[in-house]
Amino acid sequence: MLKIVRTIQSLLSIRHGFFLFLFLLFLALLMQKSSLTIKESVVSKALSSVFFPGQLFLSSISDFHKKTAENERLKKENAELLMELYHVKEGIRELPRLHQLVHFDNQWPYSIVTARVVGRNPGRFLTTLVINRGSLDGLAKDMPVFFMKGLVGKTSQVQAKHSTVQLLLDPNIKISIMIKRSRMVGFMESVHGHLLSATIPSNAGAKIGDTVITSGLGGIFPKGIEIGVIENIRKSDLEVMRYMDIKPFQEFSLLEEVFVMQKEPDWVVQELLN
Amino acid sequence: MWKWIRFPLLFLLAMILQTTLAKWLRFFDWGPDFIVIFVVLIAFRRGPIVGALWGFFAGFTLDVYAPVEWLGANTIAYLCLGYAVGLLEARFLSLNIAMRVVILGLGFFLVDFIYFFIVSTSKQFSFLSFLSTSLPECLYTMFIGALVFKLLFKGSLQNKR
Repeated sequence: MLKIVRTIQSLLSIRHGFFLFLFLLFLALLMQKSSLTIKESVVSKALSSVFFPGQLFLSSISDFHKKTAENERLKKENAELLMELYHVKEGIRELPRLHQLVHFDNQWPYSIVTARVVGRNPGRFLTTLVINRGSLDGLAKDMPVFFMKGLVGKTSQVQAKHSTVQLLLDPNIKISIMIKRSRMVGFMESVHGHLLSATIPSNAGAKIGDTVITSGLGGIFPKGIEIGVIENIRKSDLEVMRYMDIKPFQEFSLLEEVFVMQKEPDWVVQELLN
Repeated sequence: MWKWIRFPLLFLLAMILQTTLAKWLRFFDWGPDFIVIFVVLIAFRRGPIVGALWGFFAGFTLDVYAPVEWLGANTIAYLCLGYAVGLLEARFLSLNIAMRVVILGLGFFLVDFIYFFIVSTSKQFSFLSFLSTSLPECLYTMFIGALVFKLLFKGSLQNKR
């Protein structure tokens, strides 16, 4: 045994290195010059025996790299698809609103201008909005402003490309209203800038839950625009009148767009204003 | 135990680097050759016989994954590389890192020359195209090899002194 080891050691010494090199070179040349069938057989045997575990290991690393790259690509694709989905959902969400707008537009004998809310008053209570439409778009002062669910307010200042909308919550605005069910007329104003209160005769037969609409009196708002519902009824100092808290249909703080009705104030109001 | 498995592990590492890192390090379609660095490193460490044996094995491994018609081309090229570098190391025992990097570059050319010579025997061998492909990759491999040698031979050179 020892003799064999020593023989191998001597074979591997520098002196015999050249012979080993020649032997290996001969083997390699033999491989190179052999027929294609033998070459294929050598490769397939090597791949299925010696190199199989290594191949498995290396391919798993290569796969990992490929999967990482694929994962990145899929993430990007996913983000793009999510964005597209968002746009589609937004479009679907907007569709009923646009349908409603078409019907709304046909309901009134006036043109309606759609405007985007671009600003709000910075105070604690929301009383005014700034919209991106002005006199160049055909807007004028004291035009009714509303949205899908109901009345919002009126234009108070009109510039060339933007306008200020005075909301119903502004304490300086008073509106003539009507109980939709009993057709009794009263007026509505803002209390402390955050509550809507209506004053209506006691004999109006108003009940909690009744809908309040514009009466058409006053010359600015046309008759029939819904405002809100009666939430609470309180007694007033005068026995013949009742105070009513109105819950508006339209949530003012969530407004992103509004519609402006191109309705000039009636001549009576214009004369009064002048 | 470590003595027996360190070269196979180093070879595996070289293969992994060649199949992963070399792809990521490609620059203008030129990449370093970690297998050449491995064979040269082994030959520097263990002389011409072990260098030739590992050169043969490394070349054969590359051949197995290369087109079957060229089986043996890499085996011959890397065998010659391992043996030649090992002989140089045996002759000049105190080679510094700069000289080793130069030998690595020459070794790279030797491998490419033998390989291209064998695989293009049926076609016209173009020295210019060989040079335009090999030279940038040779320089890149020398750069990576310099880093590897600096890392691995630093301790051994200090020990020799």
